[in-house]
Formats: sequence, C-alpha cells, structure tokens
Amino acid sequence: MRGEGAARVIPLVAAGAAAAAGVVILAVAADAPSRARERATRAEARAAASLYELPGVAEADVLSLLDGRARIVAPEAGGSGPGAHAYRAGALEPAAWIAVEPRDEGGRWPWAASVLALFGALCMAAWAAGRRRSPPPPRFPAAPAFLCAATFALVAVAAQQWAHGELGAMSSSRLAGALRAAEAAGAAGADFETAARAAGLPWASSAALGEPDRIWTMPREVGEAIAADPRLRSAARYTVAAGGATYHGGAVALRRGPGARAETPDDTLHLVFLGYEETASPTVALTAAALGSALVVSLVLFLLPLAARPRALSGTLAAWGFLTPAAALLLLFTFGPLLFSLWISLHDWRLVDPAHPFAGLANYRALLSDGAWWSAVRNTGVFTLHVPLAMAVALSLALLTRESRRAVRWARLALFLPSITSVVAIAVVWKWLLNDGYGLANRALGAIGLGPVAWLSSPDAALVSLMVIGVWMVVGYQMVVFQAGLAAIPRVWYDAARVDGAGPWQRFRHITLPGLRHTLFFVLVTSVIGSFQVFGLVYVMTEGGPLGATDVAVYHIYREAWEFLRFGNAAAMSWILFGVVFAATWLHFRLLERRGAHA
Amino acid sequence: MPDARTAARRATGLARTLLLAIACLVMAAPFLWMAATSLMGQLEVFAAGRLFPESPLWSNYPEALTAQPFGRYFLNSLIFATVVVAGQVFTATTAGYAFARCDFPGRDTLFMVFLATMMVPAVIVLIPRFLMVDGLGWIDSYRGLVSTELVSVWGIFLMRQYFRTLPRELEDAARVDGAGHWRIFRSVALPLAKPAVATLALFAFIDAWKNFMWPLLVTRSMEMRVVEVGIAAFHSTYEINWPYQMVAGVVAALPIALLFLFTQRYFVRGIQLQGIR
Repeated sequence: MRGEGAARVIPLVAAGAAAAAGVVILAVAADAPSRARERATRAEARAAASLYELPGVAEADVLSLLDGRARIVAPEAGGSGPGAHAYRAGALEPAAWIAVEPRDEGGRWPWAASVLALFGALCMAAWAAGRRRSPPPPRFPAAPAFLCAATFALVAVAAQQWAHGELGAMSSSRLAGALRAAEAAGAAGADFETAARAAGLPWASSAALGEPDRIWTMPREVGEAIAADPRLRSAARYTVAAGGATYHGGAVALRRGPGARAETPDDTLHLVFLGYEETASPTVALTAAALGSALVVSLVLFLLPLAARPRALSGTLAAWGFLTPAAALLLLFTFGPLLFSLWISLHDWRLVDPAHPFAGLANYRALLSDGAWWSAVRNTGVFTLHVPLAMAVALSLALLTRESRRAVRWARLALFLPSITSVVAIAVVWKWLLNDGYGLANRALGAIGLGPVAWLSSPDAALVSLMVIGVWMVVGYQMVVFQAGLAAIPRVWYDAARVDGAGPWQRFRHITLPGLRHTLFFVLVTSVIGSFQVFGLVYVMTEGGPLGATDVAVYHIYREAWEFLRFGNAAAMSWILFGVVFAATWLHFRLLERRGAHA
Repeated sequence: MPDARTAARRATGLARTLLLAIACLVMAAPFLWMAATSLMGQLEVFAAGRLFPESPLWSNYPEALTAQPFGRYFLNSLIFATVVVAGQVFTATTAGYAFARCDFPGRDTLFMVFLATMMVPAVIVLIPRFLMVDGLGWIDSYRGLVSTELVSVWGIFLMRQYFRTLPRELEDAARVDGAGHWRIFRSVALPLAKPAVATLALFAFIDAWKNFMWPLLVTRSMEMRVVEVGIAAFHSTYEINWPYQMVAGVVAALPIALLFLFTQRYFVRGIQLQGIR
C-alpha cells in the first residue's frame, strides 16, 4: 500500500520539481545580465563624472558619451531619481551632479528557455496524468527521467545563451563608451593615465598591464565591434583583477592622428575596457544540482516500495555494492567526460586561455564550412572501405582453414600477429617496407620490371597504402571470429543440401552466408568503429600528409586540440564524428533488420 | 573411380595448403623483413638486391636499446598494463556478477546504458579526460596514465556472459549454508570463472600494451613514456637509421608474440565469446 502511495506521488513531485527548476534556472540566468547592467551603469556614471572634471572637456562631450542618458542636475542638488547613479563632479561648475538613468536596453526575457521549461513541465504533467491510470511501474521510469534531464539541459543552454548575448551586447556598448570618453579626454589634452581614469577604468595604467598575450582572443561581439571601428588597429586581451572580481577585458591601441591636440609619449593609447565578469556559471551548477537531485529523489521514491520487502532491498543493496567500483569509474571517466565534452564543444575553449566564453553552436556552424575537416572525414570514410575488403579476405581464409585443425593452429600465429602487435611498431615497419627507394615493396616490383611506386609520398597512393595496411592488420582477427561463426553452423544443413544436389556456390550462398549473418554484422560494426578511430598509423607514418591526403578524423581532432590548442573546436569535431559513426551503425542495423525480416 | 576421387580430394587439399602457406608468407613478410633489417648495417640496408644481412650484426641490439632508455619504457608499460589488468579484472568481475546474478530494479536498463558506451568513439572522452587529469595535476604520472583505464565495458559484458552460464545450484547450496553475496562471489563464482578471467586479463594486458594515444597525451618526460610512445619518439629521432628502428620494432613486438604463442587458447576463446551471443 505504501508503495502504491509513493508511486502516485512520484510524478507529481517530479512535475513540480521540473517546473520549479526551470523557473529557478531562468531567474538565475536573467539575474546575471541585470547585475552586469547595474555595474555598467554605475561605471558609466563614474566615467562621466571624472570626464566632466577634466579641464577642457565640453559638456557636450559628456552628454555624447552617455548617448543622452545623462542628466546634469543642478549644483548641490545631491541625489537624484530612483535607481539613478549620481556622481559629483566639479571642474566647470562648483559642483555638478552627473546622474545616469539605468539602462533600459536589452532585457528580453529568455523566451526560448521559457518555452522549453514550460514544455518540460507540461510533459511531466501529461506523464503524471497518464501514470495515474496505469499500474505502478515495474522498472525505473527511464524515459520520463531522461526527458526531464534533456529538458533541463536545453533550458539551461538556452538561458545561458541568452544571458551571454546580453552580456556581449553590454560589453560592446561599454567599449564604445570607454572609447568616446578616452577620445574626449585625449582631445582635451589629458595624459594617458587621466584619459584612462576618465574612461572609467582606474586600473588601466600602462604599468599594471604589462605585455598583452597575443594568443588570447576577444569575445566574439567585441571582436566584431573592433573590426567595425576603423580607429582601432590592434587588439589584445587582458585579465584584470580589481575589486575582488576578475574581469576579462580587451585592450585596443587607439591610434592618435596627426591632428590630435595632445601629445603622449607614444602615439598610441592603450584602452582597456571592461568585458564581462567571468565567474563560475551559476546556471550550470544549478542545472547539475537540479538534475542530480531530481534523479536521486525519483530513485529514492522508486526504491521506497522495496523497503516493504527486506529480501529485495538487501539484494538491491548488495548488487549496488558489487556495481559501485565499475559504476563510479564509468561515471567519473566516461559519462562525466561525455557531458563535459558536449559542454566544451559549446564554448570557445582554448587551453592557454583561462576564459572560456560561451559560443553556442558557433563551433559546429564553423565546422560546416571547414573544408579541411570534411576532407578528413572523407578520408576516414575512404579508409573504412578497407573493412569489406578485409572481411572478404578473412572469410576466404576462414573457409580455407575450415577443414583442417592443424593448419589453423600454425597459420594462426602468422595471421593473427598483425592484429595484436604494437601499432607503432607496425607503422614503423611498413614505413620502411614502403620506402620509395629501398623498401621491400618497390624492390619486389623492380624485380618483375615494374617502376617504383611512391607509396607514401604521393597523395594519390598514400591513403590506398594505409588501406592495404589496414586490411593486413585486421584480417587475422576477423578470420578467428569467422571461424567461430562457421563452427556454429550445423553440419547437417550442408549434408542435407548436398543430398538435394546443391553445388559449393549454392551451399555458400544459401547456408554459409545466412548462417554467418550475425557474425558478419558484428565484425562489420566493430571493424567500422575501429577504423573510424585510426590514429597511430597516421601519426607515425604520414602525419596526415602528403598534402592532407591521409588526414583522418581522429588525427585531425588530435592536431586541433593538442597542436592548435582549440579544444572547443576539437570537441565539436569529435561529436560530429560520433554522429557519423552512430548513423553508419544505425544504418547497418536497419538494413540487417530489414533483410532479416524478408529472409 | 574411388581412386580418382581420392586424388581429387588430395589435390584440393594440397592447393588449400599452398594457398594458406602463401597467405601466411604474405602476412608474415613485414615481420621477417623487420627482423632481417634489424641485423643489417646502417648502409647495408640501402644496397641493391640485399634483403638479408650478409652476417648478422647483433651489436645493433645493444646499441639501439641504449640510445634511449628502453628499459624504463618497458618498465612503464609493464606497470601500466599490470595495474590496468588488475583494475579491469576487479571492476569487471564484480559488475559482471551483479548483472548476471543479482536482481535489482533497473538492471537491464543500466546494462544497456553501459553497453551503449562501447559505441562511443574514444576520442570524444579524450579531451575532457585530459582536462580532468590536467586539472588534478596528474599529467606525467602513473596515476594520470592509469586512472581512466581501470574499467572496461567489454570486460563487464564478458564476465556477465560467463557468470550466466554457471549453474545456479552451486550458489543456492552456498546460500543454504549461510554464505552472503560477497562470500558466494569470492568462493564460488570467481574460482569457477577463472578461464573467463584469464581471457579478460589477457585482452586487457594487450590493449594496455598497445594503447598509444592516451599515454602520448598524458606523458611528457622521457621517464614516463611507455614502449609505444617511446618507439614513436625513437622513430622521429633516428629517422633514417632503419636497422635501429627495426630493433625497436622487434623488441616491441616480441613480448606480445611470445604471450600470444603461449596463450592462443584464451585469445581464441575471448574472440569467440564476443562474436557469438
């Protein structure tokens, strides 16, 4: 009875939790831009006030910096309206108050995330309604749990993307404001330090900055703003710690034209603008917590009925005791990294850069038009064509050794060794064997009067050479699997066929092949998955060359990540590779199923 | 008439053996060529028409093997492979036993989820694993090398299949005698599963020994390199000294070849176990 009650409560709790979690995620996501907006407004007011204090700066300059959002309140008026940030400045007049209204730009509610959250809550509610009529579930409700998890993840990503967009827009308007302030200050004859202070950036002294790191990159929006502004020549990125927070800002060198009034030691002026504050993303932590707790709560509620049956409960606990080592390791080093990898692929993630700005699907979008990557995928596909060839050879060898057991035993070592020996050693040997001038292959060709072939040094032949090595490497393994498959086909079938007058070809076509169907499928799938991951051969033998002719997917990913240090791109590539592998396997599966149904 | 049939059968048998011999020769040729080259002089290998050493130059071996710390490489590979084998045997037997013998809600779903990870290309988890190991400060250490490799879903699958074939009566008898789950696992199921454990250990060992990409990524110093990475580095250092490189190849291939020679039975069983369900 207790169990049934609990089963009825689960869906309601889950639906409530889904809705609540969605709302909280959205609220946190919306909070980040609004706090940043607040900060930006305050900084602007301060900048306007200090600009106002500079001699030689006209009131119009201050007003233009603030795009009309500033009011110069009466002297000694103090304070100002609700929510305004006012700063006292007094150069031209005894004391003027610069009041800046909070910005009212942006601030669209993350509607995509809202729709998703609503959809998730609706799904959970519908599921709850449906559940009420059916008996308690015999198994853990995996489908709703995963639906719930997927919805949360989507909500979080949508909310994050929205918040990121807001922050980005704020960064670029902040850049424009700081530029205007510094220009106005410079035009009024102020020196670098003063100009920087006037731009609202007190830490932007040249001494504090040191050498900019050229490898770092700008946030996308800022980069676009800089590209659009002809005054900005070069850009670099700084990380500045100020006021207990770490800011990632960009510095741009502002070239001062010959007509400029003020003279600074050099003719370029470094401006540092506030990008946005880089903190641990609360949305993510929150989503993870929500997901985890939702799963734990539903699991506990699901296991509650078991408590009524001590025998079953102790069995479950014992099973989890046995499972813990494997499950914990898999969670830590497989399932966790899978999610982490997806997360990386959605960011502009570089190893040398501590900031990983959110990039949404930009990595994937960029890959769509990346010719080198698709050529690597194509090369991988072509390389995989060695699998059917190898299977044909392996099957013939298996048939050849079918009759005599003795032949099998001594042949096995020679045939099997390539598939278990160190790949690097094999690659080195083959590199020597296919050597242009002195390799065994060209010597053998020369002996029968054929010209030397540039096995590895010509773009046309290199991939084919690798395919030959691929066949050589997997044939032995495939043969052993086929031998096992052949042994499982009852001899009686052959005898019956022989009595019916079937020839060798007919026996092969109608008994051996159908009998091996599952084995063939198994070998095909495992070999294709294996060949999509070829790496060692390419790494040692060709390094992807010549001219990228043997640049396969995994090698391309390796270079992208560990040579160019673009982890975000590399992660996106690996997911695309996964998609390709998955699609290929699924297609095989479907084909096999259909054929199985017809047979 | 019977004579003709015997003759025909003998002829096909001969043709069969001949074909097989040719196939074996083709497959073994690279290894033979490797062994031959490893005993030749550095310039001798470039001589026209010279396939085998005029007189075996055994000094190639000590010279090549001391050019880089191959002893250290072998030690690292051995440590890496041994720890991986121990870890995988432990995790696979326990988890396999749970999946085969325990009843708990969600068992089959969980098993499918485990199996599904075999479809995932390893390169996906490589980047996050690297970042995790890097974050832990485990780069260039045995911990970093080993920690991600301690569980094998294939091994869990293998052990589950094997435990399922064991008769339940044995466990029931032990249970009547008052043995708990762990006791049954330790004293009844595990001893009976020795052949499967041997197969698993063998495959885990070979896979660890052959593992190239992960050690390449997480080791930096020469002292931490495993054999595979060592040979790759050796290859790029002694680019044109083919005899030395072949020595390295022979030395890398030999342990595995010997292991295979003495444990063929378990190999074949392992492959056949995964091929047929």
